[in-house]
Amino acid sequence: MPDRVILAIGTKKGLFVAEAAKSRRGFALRGPFGSGVAVYSTLIDTRSTPRLYASSCNAFFGMKVLVSTDLGKKFKETKSAPEFPKDDGRALANIWSLEPGGGKKDLLCGVEPAALFRSGDGGDSWEMVPGISNHEHARKWNPGNGGLCMHTIVRDGHRVHLGISTGGHYLSEDGGQTFRASNNGVGAGFAPDPYPEFGQCVHKIAGHKDAPGRLYMQNHGGWADWTGPGGPRPDIGVLRSDDHGQTWRSIAKGLPSDFGFPIVVHPHDADTVYVLPLEPMTRTCPGGAPAVWRSEDGGGSWKKLSHGLPRRESFFTVLRDAMDIDDLKSPALYFGTTTGQVWMGRDGGEEWSCLFDSLPPIHCVKVAVV
Amino acid sequence: MSVTIHVPGVLRQYCDDALEFSLPASSLRDALGQIERRYPALYRCVCHETGAVRRHVNLFVNESDMRTLDDLDTALQPGDVVMVLPAVSGG
Repeated sequence: MPDRVILAIGTKKGLFVAEAAKSRRGFALRGPFGSGVAVYSTLIDTRSTPRLYASSCNAFFGMKVLVSTDLGKKFKETKSAPEFPKDDGRALANIWSLEPGGGKKDLLCGVEPAALFRSGDGGDSWEMVPGISNHEHARKWNPGNGGLCMHTIVRDGHRVHLGISTGGHYLSEDGGQTFRASNNGVGAGFAPDPYPEFGQCVHKIAGHKDAPGRLYMQNHGGWADWTGPGGPRPDIGVLRSDDHGQTWRSIAKGLPSDFGFPIVVHPHDADTVYVLPLEPMTRTCPGGAPAVWRSEDGGGSWKKLSHGLPRRESFFTVLRDAMDIDDLKSPALYFGTTTGQVWMGRDGGEEWSCLFDSLPPIHCVKVAVV
Repeated sequence: MSVTIHVPGVLRQYCDDALEFSLPASSLRDALGQIERRYPALYRCVCHETGAVRRHVNLFVNESDMRTLDDLDTALQPGDVVMVLPAVSGG
């Protein structure tokens, strides 16, 4: 019977793990693990005995993958990390996403420069997935502010959705053998063509196990006032697909900003989705007043959730992987800020409290009940 | 006819905790090739997959940075000491 809530918090200075009972009172913090090295991605793998994975992105000595089999009390490096073939010419610069693969010990890993790797043995060995890593578009993608990163991997049966910044959304319908750009309706504000075939700055994609054709996307919005060629591009930042990512439509109406990084779906209701709007220029909370916004009708309307959050002078930035939701009966949302705070929103974000207020800058927050 | 490879503390976990070890090598490239075979994880910390030395790692031959010599083609003489040093930078 799962009875512990585990948070894996990746920061600029290593990995922290927080643990609490299901009541979520009194999280105990462990860490930092990885001795001061930035962690951009974590995975709490609950397919069998829980394993915690984290990318350790060492600017000096290269990338490592850390693994723990005791709920994050200690970590060790896996036997190897992803690396490009010697004759490829690319060198691994960062690990942005770790997700479970199809088999019991399979892992998928999205990296910078954008490419996908697969492990069949829990991260001890890796092979590059050529269908996307050597895609004809791959050498035409450009780095965004965070680098040229493959940050999102969403599996849905034989379909695999990938989010690349800046590359856009890529879809495989054959289990990851081949991929194609699938960005119909996904706008770009920084290109003359507002709806290019590929090259969009997708920030995050989320799905729901009970609504397999449904996807939500936080795209790079904030282009409503654009006056250059192609004209303004309002509301391109928050999108929805109902056909497995073949086409996308805006659901941004009603939000204070269509710019943001994370997007999260309620674990028990595919119609309930959460975003954390930011001002596009500063990438901080509008007006210095942080709020998560929730839609309970699939993006048709939005409600501000800010009870317990600071009301002023709080210019949080929350990055693409720094918000998650647990799957208890009444789920709690969690987000981490680049100023080192971890906030928890009980009852689906209705009531917020600060769990930790002085961690290093936070890149990612993942939660699981184990 | 061997040279000595001196390893910084943070990397010794990848070479059986050795402070230094010896190997026969006629050039830096030759030495790195042997390190790759003997201690692949250590090699991966020094060089990325293209074979280039990582940007923030410096290799000194005795007291000279390899970048001021002939880079990876720098010839090594018996008794030379190759020091692996991380460039201390960042915040």
